[in-house]
Amino acid sequence: MTDTQVGGLESDEAASRGQAAARVGRLSTIGWPERVALVAFAAVTVALVLAPWLVGAGELEIVDDPFRGVLDDQLLGTDDQGRDVWARTVFGMRASWFSAVLVIAIGALIGGAIGLVAGFAGGWVDTILMRLTDAVLALPGPLVALAVVAATGSGLRNTLLAVAATWWPWYARIVRGQVFALSRRPHVEAARMGGVGRVRTAVVHVLPGTLGPVIVAASLDVGAVILVLAGLSFLGLGSPAPAAELGAMTARGLTYLFNAPWIALAPGTALFALGVVANFAGDATRDLLED
Amino acid sequence: MRRIVITRIVSMFGVLMLLTLAIFLIQNVLPADPVRSYFGRNATAEQLEAKRQELGYDKPIAVQYVNFLGRLVELDLGTSLRTRRPVTTDLADFIPATFELAAASLAIAGVLGVALGLLGTRRGVGTGAVRLVSVMWSSAPTFFVGLLGILLLYRRLGWLPPGGRTSNTLEATSTGFLFFGRLLRFELAGVWDAARHLLMPATVLALGPSVAIGRTLRGSLRDILRDDQVRTARAKGLTERAVLVRHGLRNALGPTLSMAGLQIGLLLAGVIVVEVVFSWPGLGQYLDQSIDRADFPAILGVVMVLGASYVVINTVVDLLQLAADPRLRSQR
Repeated sequence: MTDTQVGGLESDEAASRGQAAARVGRLSTIGWPERVALVAFAAVTVALVLAPWLVGAGELEIVDDPFRGVLDDQLLGTDDQGRDVWARTVFGMRASWFSAVLVIAIGALIGGAIGLVAGFAGGWVDTILMRLTDAVLALPGPLVALAVVAATGSGLRNTLLAVAATWWPWYARIVRGQVFALSRRPHVEAARMGGVGRVRTAVVHVLPGTLGPVIVAASLDVGAVILVLAGLSFLGLGSPAPAAELGAMTARGLTYLFNAPWIALAPGTALFALGVVANFAGDATRDLLED
Repeated sequence: MRRIVITRIVSMFGVLMLLTLAIFLIQNVLPADPVRSYFGRNATAEQLEAKRQELGYDKPIAVQYVNFLGRLVELDLGTSLRTRRPVTTDLADFIPATFELAAASLAIAGVLGVALGLLGTRRGVGTGAVRLVSVMWSSAPTFFVGLLGILLLYRRLGWLPPGGRTSNTLEATSTGFLFFGRLLRFELAGVWDAARHLLMPATVLALGPSVAIGRTLRGSLRDILRDDQVRTARAKGLTERAVLVRHGLRNALGPTLSMAGLQIGLLLAGVIVVEVVFSWPGLGQYLDQSIDRADFPAILGVVMVLGASYVVINTVVDLLQLAADPRLRSQR
């Protein structure tokens, strides 16, 4: 995130449609590892959407005796209840992946709205909103989220909202910086002179220009959010017990680490794989959209 | 200079107030009723009402907040529902163990981070490899690395213990300054034992922060090594190592320090999970057990201590940077 350019002037060019095509054309300028990462990101997303049709068992279904080993009958054996570890891992990956995307979307929406208002209004509104943003940014986000979830009771919805509520400040800063720079550009001035209303100017002529940096920041965040959510789930602050969630599955598997290591290793490895794909894809997105 | 320092400290208190406000709101506005959970299910209405008045829950919310701050100043964080002891007493018990783990981890993160950063500035195949390893490291959940470490270094190789702070069963649940205590008493065998127990959890906890520190260092080193002063240093015949250490490292220290400050925050969150994996009797394990029993005063107490440390440490790092780099003093 520190590499993200705030207040750059390039991105309003990206807003115009002719340039959008050029961006796609720039795919040829990034290396093969980056292309592989972007394809992997898309592939994981599609595979996880289709997950229920790709695995043989349900996430709660008891398929065999408990503690069956890897490749005995099921691909990754069974857990302490006799549920299929592979099926649960895939369902857990699905939950992690889309939860992370949702958290970032909510965070970017909140942050984007605050940044847009602050950057466009300027003056005391800007000062107050940005002071607030800096203050929230100075708080340890995951810890505050942990306290909120612990108090509201665990459950996927509470966890996602709590993390999103601490994840918006960066987006507010990025959008505000962009809006600040963009609103001094000729096309915005032209719109203002042409009698376009303030709200319309902000939404139609300024907002699209902030998209590039926001997408870059968001793509770099996916891996981090997956890890934060997994940590909360590991501590028992995710979906309640029987649901397939990678962090909680690993925590449960710790008890059987020496006798049935696959129960903890499968969800742990899955988290690692998701993190690697997300982080490499994030780097690739940055290379693609930034100069 | 003095004005910047004062502004920085005042804003630190502002953020600390926001933290207390957040915790107060979590405690009061959210549905969990602390009085009801104190008595359990069989309380009579009179008992609840009496306790409510005793704790001041019938007063207006602003008054309650002021009272809450007053109690904080007196280090009163309420009574743990699980241990039935004052939360402050519990916290004081568990802080030393966590402090030792976090301090050891920070030292390891610093060494690993500087090594990664220096390796990354080398040209050639190494750069790509360092980048690859960095991304992989920062993608792995700490608990996953932890259990891999236990399986490999304890189960397979038998080099390191799987958890706990000491092999001495009498001290197995000791929460004090075990390592530093033994060090001060020159019990060398004991120090070795404690260090062996510290090594794995501290290293696992250090991985994420070391990558971030390494990346920042590499980034700023790259910029600095393109400077004229570095060209001059090279031209006058300094060895590459002298150039790197005296001209490069010294100038790259500022951004790296501030990243290290931010990483201490990450470390304070990560320590919770690592303590659970390695049965380390510190704040994290206390928090985990409190979460299982829905012990709100204890949970909020731990969050308060870790959160406040985070805020204070970041301010101290900022001020250190001011002291180290005169250029920052004229800005803002």
